[in-house]
Amino acid sequence: MSNPMLEIENLHVEFETEDESVQAVDGISFEIHPGEVYGIVGESGSGKSVTALSIMALLDSNANVTADRVRFDGTDLLSKTDSEMRSIRGGEISMIFQDPMNSLNPVITVGEQIAEVVRHHGDVNESTNLVQEMRRKYVTGTSADSASWRRAVELLETVGIPDPETRAQEYPHQLSGGMRQRVMIAQALAGDPSLILADEPTTALDVSIEAQILNQLLDLRDEFGVSVLLITHDLGVVRETCDRVAVMYAGELMEKAAVEELFEDPQHPYTRGLMQSIPRLTDDREMLDVIEGSVPNLAAKPPGCPFQDRCAWAFEACTQPLEEHEVDPGHDVACHLHREDIPEELGEWNSPTAVRTDGGDDR
Amino acid sequence: MRRYIAKRLLHSLVVVWIVATVVFAVVRAIPGDPVQLMLGGDATQEAREQLRTQLGLDEPIYVQYARWMGRLAQGDLGESLSTGVPVLELLIQVGQPTVSIGLLGMLIALSIAIPAGLISALHQYEWDDYVATFIAFLGISMPGFWVGILLIVFISQRFEFLPAFGYVGPGEGIRAWFSHIILPAIAVGVPYGGIIMRMMRSSMLEVMNEDYMRTARAKGLSPQLIVMKHAFQNALIPVVTIAGILLGTLLGGVVAVEIVFGIQGLGRLLINSVHQRDFPVVQGSIVIIAVIFVLTNLLVDLLYTVLNPKIKYGDGGES
Repeated sequence: MSNPMLEIENLHVEFETEDESVQAVDGISFEIHPGEVYGIVGESGSGKSVTALSIMALLDSNANVTADRVRFDGTDLLSKTDSEMRSIRGGEISMIFQDPMNSLNPVITVGEQIAEVVRHHGDVNESTNLVQEMRRKYVTGTSADSASWRRAVELLETVGIPDPETRAQEYPHQLSGGMRQRVMIAQALAGDPSLILADEPTTALDVSIEAQILNQLLDLRDEFGVSVLLITHDLGVVRETCDRVAVMYAGELMEKAAVEELFEDPQHPYTRGLMQSIPRLTDDREMLDVIEGSVPNLAAKPPGCPFQDRCAWAFEACTQPLEEHEVDPGHDVACHLHREDIPEELGEWNSPTAVRTDGGDDR
Repeated sequence: MRRYIAKRLLHSLVVVWIVATVVFAVVRAIPGDPVQLMLGGDATQEAREQLRTQLGLDEPIYVQYARWMGRLAQGDLGESLSTGVPVLELLIQVGQPTVSIGLLGMLIALSIAIPAGLISALHQYEWDDYVATFIAFLGISMPGFWVGILLIVFISQRFEFLPAFGYVGPGEGIRAWFSHIILPAIAVGVPYGGIIMRMMRSSMLEVMNEDYMRTARAKGLSPQLIVMKHAFQNALIPVVTIAGILLGTLLGGVVAVEIVFGIQGLGRLLINSVHQRDFPVVQGSIVIIAVIFVLTNLLVDLLYTVLNPKIKYGDGGES
């Protein structure tokens, strides 16, 4: 197998506030291969976005990022200086954000917002010093003859925006939500990246536009061979787009597997809970199954598995530190139920219709 | 756009008309008789009646109103009751120092307050932010005329530097003109600048937290470029609103500051003419102030279209 494009090992992100410290990401590891779409799925506040922002070194100064390894294309990202990171951001690694209305600058034309990335990271040989950029912004405007502008128009066309010459001159508020997200994608492609971090790229869009945007991402993956880290809370999106997926809960990865395997044979009680809470066309259920309880307070997480308080199958061992069990090649589960020595009465947990009979949590 | 401006000018006309009517009524409602004040208590009844007829004050109120409105519509503000000098001429005379001081004060305030607010926001909770914030609050808490007195005491008196009194027109030498208006301009600019600085700071802090700023950083742009290209214009939008609204307060500040510096400006003219119940001068001054107000507001609104592409005053309505 080829070398991974991105390798993350034991990543921790801690936010320091005045009276507490919050472990937003708590020792996660995964890798993304060239041309792969890798999904991270989880509830709000599970640390998905923080993971992406920490890779880009875009977190505020109150965030403390540590890891055994964050390697991108063979180089260590953690030891990069600010200016080295700037040439990677937007260039080799780019990012697509959730809300395209607020993520685009309202007072700059969409063409210029793409063109500036081309100037900074492409080989168009146009000056990007402060004076020149200010002159372009406030005096002359970006010349429609410049190579960066032409490239921006081309990119708008690539992401399927009709009449790109005219659209490039417009401001974000003149575009529809779907078009704005296409602009975000064009902007992310402008530096010719090898990895795109897409943070909930379709959450703010309606369903039909969502499908178009996701297909667009897949087409671009095929065309340019970029790897994509797709962050979402929507298992449906994962199923449609990703090659492999990690399930994140309270800052930790609970289960990692190829997408088909995860959907066919989920091996973590949390993943199963998620699957059961998806509505199905063939459902005759009156109510959807929900996972009882709520996400633990990240400032005061219980020791051991973060899911233990909500898990129907919790037992004594759940307060011990989690370790990953490889249930199949490429399918890792962080759950004590996969240990050899689980109590006998829990032995049935893995059958699809299992219901716990010993009265629940006996700790 | 042109249609929008025409519409706004028409609205402005209505506003000015309302102001003119209210002023007309109010100056006549305050007790005190201009004729009595002009002739003194010893004048005979006959002399008073004669002057009253001469000034047209014996006619019914609605006739006076109609006559004044008719002349106003032609751009004629009438003549002063006490001196007979055309009001417009008086206003041009006193308007020059007032407008010079107001504009220079605004210019000084904006050119210091906006960069200071910007730096303050970027260095939030650092020493330069504290210093700038302290000075801004000091400025906000001191009325302009008080700053003027301090300037006279500490700059003019102590160092015998810059005149503390009077006004010289630009016709008599730009240097002399400038040296006479610089201290009053600083005095009116200080409270104004203090508020603008605080506005700029908070607006900038807000913009720095916007999602599009994160996008700009994710593009790998330099910090300076992110601030100047992606944040500055956005942060300026609410500041322009406040700067425009506060122009009225600034003008009010000029009136008080002129008195401290012994300058014959619009403020002094207005106060004197109220004392003398010189109706046409009071009315004319207020109408001119209203016109200035309405026009600056229009200017600020037009400046919006430059700063904020979301605002377009087209024929298709406003969005």
